[in-house]
Amino acid sequence: MKHSGSKMESRKRLVLIVAAAAVVAALVFAVVLVRIRSSRKAPYQIVFIPKVVDEENDFWKALLEGAQAGAKEYGIELAVEAPDAEDNHAMQSEILRETAKQRPDAVILAPTSYTQVTEAAREVVQAGIPLILVDSTLDERLEKSLIATDNLEAGRRMAECIKPFLPESPVIGIVAHVQGSSTAMEREQGLREGLAGYEDCIVGTVFSNSDYQQGYDVTMELLDAHPDINVLVGLNEYSAVGAARAVQDCGMSDRITMVGFDSSLEEIGLLESGLFRGIVVQKPFNMGYLSVETAVKVIQGETVPAYTDSGSQAVTKSTMYSEENQKLLFLFREGEN
Amino acid sequence: MQDWNGTGIAARGQRGTDMRKSHPFKFKSIRTSILVSFSVLIISSLLFFTVFSMNYTEDAVIENSQDYSMQLVRQVNTEIDTYINYMGNIAYTVTQSQDALTFLQQEDEGQEDSGSVQYGGYPLQENREKESLGRLKQQFTTILDSRPDISNIGILGENGRCLVNRGDEILNPYIEYRELDWYRDVIDETLLSAGGIRLTGIRALLSASHVQNVIRGSYPWVVTLSTPITDRQTGEPEGVFFVDLNYSSINSLGRNISLGSRGYVFIVDDEANIIFHPQQQLLYSGLKKEKIDEVLTGDSGSFVVKDGDNSRVYTFCRSAETGWTTVGVSYLNELMKNRDSMQNAYFLSALVLFTAAVLLTSLISREITKPIRYLQNSMRQVEKGNFAYAETAVDGENEIAQLGASFNRMTKRIQELMEQNVQEQREKRKSELNALQSQINPHFLYNTLDSIIWMAESGRTQEVVVMTSQLARLLRQSISNEDEIVTIESEISYTKSYLTIQKMRYQDQLEFEIDVDQEALSMPIVKLVIQPLVENAIYHGVKYAEHGGIVSVSVKVAREKLVITVADNGPGMSRETLAHIFEKRENGKSGKVGVYNVHHRLQLYYGPEYGLSYKSAPGAGTMAFITIPNPNWEETDDEAFRQ
Repeated sequence: MKHSGSKMESRKRLVLIVAAAAVVAALVFAVVLVRIRSSRKAPYQIVFIPKVVDEENDFWKALLEGAQAGAKEYGIELAVEAPDAEDNHAMQSEILRETAKQRPDAVILAPTSYTQVTEAAREVVQAGIPLILVDSTLDERLEKSLIATDNLEAGRRMAECIKPFLPESPVIGIVAHVQGSSTAMEREQGLREGLAGYEDCIVGTVFSNSDYQQGYDVTMELLDAHPDINVLVGLNEYSAVGAARAVQDCGMSDRITMVGFDSSLEEIGLLESGLFRGIVVQKPFNMGYLSVETAVKVIQGETVPAYTDSGSQAVTKSTMYSEENQKLLFLFREGEN
Repeated sequence: MQDWNGTGIAARGQRGTDMRKSHPFKFKSIRTSILVSFSVLIISSLLFFTVFSMNYTEDAVIENSQDYSMQLVRQVNTEIDTYINYMGNIAYTVTQSQDALTFLQQEDEGQEDSGSVQYGGYPLQENREKESLGRLKQQFTTILDSRPDISNIGILGENGRCLVNRGDEILNPYIEYRELDWYRDVIDETLLSAGGIRLTGIRALLSASHVQNVIRGSYPWVVTLSTPITDRQTGEPEGVFFVDLNYSSINSLGRNISLGSRGYVFIVDDEANIIFHPQQQLLYSGLKKEKIDEVLTGDSGSFVVKDGDNSRVYTFCRSAETGWTTVGVSYLNELMKNRDSMQNAYFLSALVLFTAAVLLTSLISREITKPIRYLQNSMRQVEKGNFAYAETAVDGENEIAQLGASFNRMTKRIQELMEQNVQEQREKRKSELNALQSQINPHFLYNTLDSIIWMAESGRTQEVVVMTSQLARLLRQSISNEDEIVTIESEISYTKSYLTIQKMRYQDQLEFEIDVDQEALSMPIVKLVIQPLVENAIYHGVKYAEHGGIVSVSVKVAREKLVITVADNGPGMSRETLAHIFEKRENGKSGKVGVYNVHHRLQLYYGPEYGLSYKSAPGAGTMAFITIPNPNWEETDDEAFRQ
């Protein structure tokens, strides 16, 4: 067939137009496909491994609630795996190893030990899973981010609580929880900083090992050794309550001023009775929520601060029923009557 | 599609000139115009409808969600109202009975502050008081037993007398209940009327959610309804009746509402205190902000908060009974989850429609323009003069088919006319030739015959024979042959006969020479073109030559041309004479008729680029050239290239 120039020209143009239309159509199609794929993307899977899941423990209960609130808000599939006891390092290590195999998008861990679960945590990180630490740290920096109470600050807050009530010649005793634990050391350090000028009045530090009975016993020993003690500081719930029981049993409630840490019904009673001048509470709900929020940011490739303070709050008898402090002190319990 | 590809290579050569002319929005072919305009139309309408329906869907989704949320929110309000009304009823029953007042106004001499209930007094009264107490206890126990959502119920007196729950619980020794908000604000008439609510028969205060701490060792989360117990005679408040609604009722009410997996419900009271919020602690810590002020602006309504992925729809409704505002929050991207798939469906169907439309348009435009293209092709052929291929195919009855039929009729007629024209021209040429042939100069004939007579008288028999035979030959050749075309050889021999006769007549006055290329002898030529030129050369040239004239005829093959030259050494022509040489003159005597005739016939036969030309100057003789094509000439590549 023979064609003249203009005819070939118009046909050529037609081919170009059809080709352009086809390209546009293909592009639109690709965009649509990508959209379909992205909209079908499964939600992020995050494994949350606290030290323990204990309905009776307000701290861990609130932490879990916070994490679940965050999971709901960000549309996360949150799996909770926890050892049966706060000191079961072997079990938490085992859980970490299993989690590394499941390859979730992120792992949030509250390590039961500073040293004992580090190796298992490393396996998680080596599997390419971002690790977020909550509440406590490890002896190796494996985490993308740490969300915890600033314990130095919490210690200083305890000092602030007690300062207005210091007697003329204070003799101060400290009941800490675990010797060598980072939280105990930091809280004590903060306390000492807050009590600047009275450091010499601190006559001794004993350790309850997070046990009411042991706390009771070591406080008794401390009181025996220093009968003139008139200020006692408990650095966690077990220590504070154990110490308070000892003080009450010695009949020294009127003579000794105390400050507690973390909330429990017994501590609230002690605060109401006036033995405790104040309690410093952490914000476990925020901690849990922030850990999930941080994990989501890490998954999405955003930069996150290496450390986030979830905050602490000093509560005194007069402020304990304020709107905000009620929520911190009294955990709402389902089915409670 | 196939022929588009076929034309691609050829088109490239044309682009340079054609592209320059083409306007960007003016297409060369109707087909392209149809295709492009239809495509544009289809795309824009598809786009418009897709966007329109998607927006419409979005609005509809939001509206639906608002309706749905509003229903849920109202439902929550209704349930809360039911609780509060129930509590109000209890309060009404207790406070309106004489028992509560009797219990509070009991005179105790051994007043205690431990909160434990003691009663005693005068023996007459004692019985009545005992009965009141018993009835109250009975009443409270029944309520607590039947309604697990009631945490506490009790009467607290200004004078310290109190009855709580079943009567066996002790008040918190570290709490002075007279200083609690829900007690103090009820005792004070002005505070109560400022912040209280009105329920059937009573005025009461409804607290925000709080920890109830009046009972030792128990710190439940509750909502407290409190109302004064007034002595109707004095009008003085004697104490407060309170009932605690277990917060878990409201909590589960809020939590069980489903507004997607991310959506939630929260409740605030008039003073912007949060009654229920799933993330209350985050709000207190400032980690989150809630749109509380916005929802307190009206009794009910809805608004959208744009915040990327966290865009939310707030729907709120205030309960007239409690003054609490329940707010439902749903996330847009959850509501739009279906929209995405709907969007994809829209896109895909638009794509399919578009493709189908383009194909269909392409097909239709091709069908419409096919006969036009055929017609176009045919016209091009006609333009070139190829009438043989000019007929266009005519299918059907439509306008273009009729156009094609008309075109066919027209070309046919043109073809007929042209053929007729050619025929007429040929006839005309023939008759002209005949006229020319009959134009053998009669003077020539008389003179020749006179010469023959004169020669016969003088006994020059031999010369008479020659002259007569030459004359006979001349006449035969001019009359007998009907053919228009003769060979150069016969034309030359005719010329030679003529020259021979003339030479015999003019004796020494005329010489002639004939030089013909051998290869030219057999070539065809229009008849009777050389002789008239020779005749002119003799009568207008040689005749005036002083020392004997010479006529030379030569035939030369010059590449693609054949050139016949007739030259004489006569006086030549002036420039002016030369300029008018081809003018036709009707004067039969003049040889000029021959010049016009020869030239005209040559051009008729061989085309305008051929024919007769003269070269002459006064005193330099005259040269006439006949130029005709060389029929044996074949243009080889080599020669064509050299040109």
